[in-house]
Amino acid sequence: MPEPATPLLRPPRHRVDPRARRWWTLQALLTLSGPMLLIALVMAVLSILFFPGALPWLGPLLLVVLVVPAVGYLLVMPRWRYAVHAWELGGRAVYAAGGWFWQKRRIAPLSRVQTVDTVRGPLQRRYGLATVTVTTASTAGDIKIAGLSDADAEELSRRIGEAAQDVPGDAA
Amino acid sequence: MSAPRDPGTPGLAPTASGTSPTAHPDAPPSAPATAPPTSTAPWRRLDPRTLLVHCGWMGAPLASLALTALATGGRITTGAWITLAAIAASFAVVTTLGLIRWARTEFRVTADTLEVRSGLLNRRLRSVPLRRIRTVDLTASPLHRLLGVTVLRAGTAGSGDGGSELSLEALTVAEADRLRAELLARAEAEGAADDPVVARISWRWLRYAPLTFWVVGGVFVVAGSVYRALDGMGIEPWKLGFVQRAFAEFGASALWLTVPAALLVVLALGSVGAIALYVENWWHYSLEWTDARSLRVRRGLFTTRSVTIEGTRLRGVLLREPLLLRAGGGALVRAVAGGLGNREENRKRSGLLPPAPRTEALRVASGALRAAFPEAEPLTGHPRAALRRRRTRGLLFVVVPGAAVLAGLGVAFTPVLLHCAWIYAAVTTPVVWWLARDAYRSLGHGIRGAYLVARSGTFSRDTLALQRSAIAAWTFSTSPFTRRSGLVTLTAAVAAGEDGYRVRDLAAEAAPGFAAAVTPGLLDEFLVHRQG
Repeated sequence: MPEPATPLLRPPRHRVDPRARRWWTLQALLTLSGPMLLIALVMAVLSILFFPGALPWLGPLLLVVLVVPAVGYLLVMPRWRYAVHAWELGGRAVYAAGGWFWQKRRIAPLSRVQTVDTVRGPLQRRYGLATVTVTTASTAGDIKIAGLSDADAEELSRRIGEAAQDVPGDAA
Repeated sequence: MSAPRDPGTPGLAPTASGTSPTAHPDAPPSAPATAPPTSTAPWRRLDPRTLLVHCGWMGAPLASLALTALATGGRITTGAWITLAAIAASFAVVTTLGLIRWARTEFRVTADTLEVRSGLLNRRLRSVPLRRIRTVDLTASPLHRLLGVTVLRAGTAGSGDGGSELSLEALTVAEADRLRAELLARAEAEGAADDPVVARISWRWLRYAPLTFWVVGGVFVVAGSVYRALDGMGIEPWKLGFVQRAFAEFGASALWLTVPAALLVVLALGSVGAIALYVENWWHYSLEWTDARSLRVRRGLFTTRSVTIEGTRLRGVLLREPLLLRAGGGALVRAVAGGLGNREENRKRSGLLPPAPRTEALRVASGALRAAFPEAEPLTGHPRAALRRRRTRGLLFVVVPGAAVLAGLGVAFTPVLLHCAWIYAAVTTPVVWWLARDAYRSLGHGIRGAYLVARSGTFSRDTLALQRSAIAAWTFSTSPFTRRSGLVTLTAAVAAGEDGYRVRDLAAEAAPGFAAAVTPGLLDEFLVHRQG
């Protein structure tokens, strides 16, 4: 590098609530892993009941195609996400990191903030979590911070709202 | 949004529909010099010919019915009677609904808002501040033109949810032109540009029309639609005598001659179609600054289109060079502007220049930016890892799957396919290599004055010049593969055009510095300086 110092983007300061891991696990179980395991179970049972001859090849196939990916997703995704997801409210901008396999870090200036939404889904409510969505005039600039604790979410949306009012806006 | 105003207040001057007389050369001299109170602007109605336009949908079923009648020798079957009855019933319903809608829809322009109220039971008043109107688009389908009316759409700033558009269907052409002037009166001229006309159509550009990928695809799409239309009329093309005869002869004669001949016919048809589309889309094309601050594109043969973009909403320009067009030395230009509607509408309305010579495209891009299109100086290249990434992707998604499928089938059925597999691999690998190289050479980014410049793509090499001040957010995206090879894709969010514009596969250590340089001050608090 020709410059003496290369600026690097550091991760946002604050992690999301640790309970988010449980929420993501439950979510994975309901949407992807659960159905996959259920299908594997049903197929295995059907095979044992009606086609015992198919088990020697169907068993390993189910294991590789359904069971291992389902369990892997269930175990890996929430931890990975928790390691990645983070947020920070700076003096001029909101900064959030998200994703797990494909990761995104997004920075949006407070002067462009249009609305701040706090959403609590049925699963999130169980764990006392919330998702804060900060919208800007561009859909590619909307920031979503998932897995905050209720108190953090309230505090954050209040502070973003205040900060956005302080900074002279050009959101329109 | 705003409180409903009393519509019954008598207007001061019935013909002075707008309230900014300076914008109205045709406003009567008796109009007061200062803007009158906003509530006095009279409510206006849409043109009653709208009702006729709404009957336009009957054309297709009626024509299809007539054709069926012709095909069956004038005998109208029971099914046809039922269809006819259904059409009549729908006509009654649609016309009644249209009449109600027409009678209950009113609009007016006050000093600072456009207000539209509509609805039978739920009276709805929508008012849009004039300063938020970004574009005014007049579109007339052939039917509209026949009746001398046009649809006016006013696009506003919004979160890209598509709900931020007011459309008035339909107004007489004169009325629409007047209303457009009123709506854009905010962008009043501060002095005319040196040469308001940026470009006009030159029919020598027609040679670029067939240089698109859709030449061949278009033929098949049209053939499919014709087949479906015939099928809908109860005619089965495969049962017609001459089709069967032609097909039998085609199969029987020398294939080495007929297959290329058929391909040539498809190409010729496709080219004719492409030229016809070019003519229909770009007839009477002109691009001009109507005043110091509004850029207007007018074009169209049957469907005329006139898109006006307020200069301050024009956030940048995109120079597109699809592969074939690039090989022919051509390019086309699109606007990156706010308020042009959703993605699909944006694609239709953002065209500033049809496929044309590259020098012309650069000239038009510069004319739209009113600054030299920042392309001359070489851009900063991207790391070699980006080239490897493109090669790997090509091999993984093109060469390997094709060869594997062919080889698998070969092992299962016939050894001929095994040879096809290695021939496929041997042919596609160099092609993929070349395309990857080309894509890599396209990659580049830089800062040129007030603009961020980014280029990428091989099938369509896109060079983007985007106002730095328009960037609303930055996104750094990575996957495990790019993280390992030290790359990152940077997305600049703007409230215009396609919302997000990407700078692909930058060096990971250069990206934050670049983003920070493009929008000074925004990223600083999140950066750490590593001694390098």
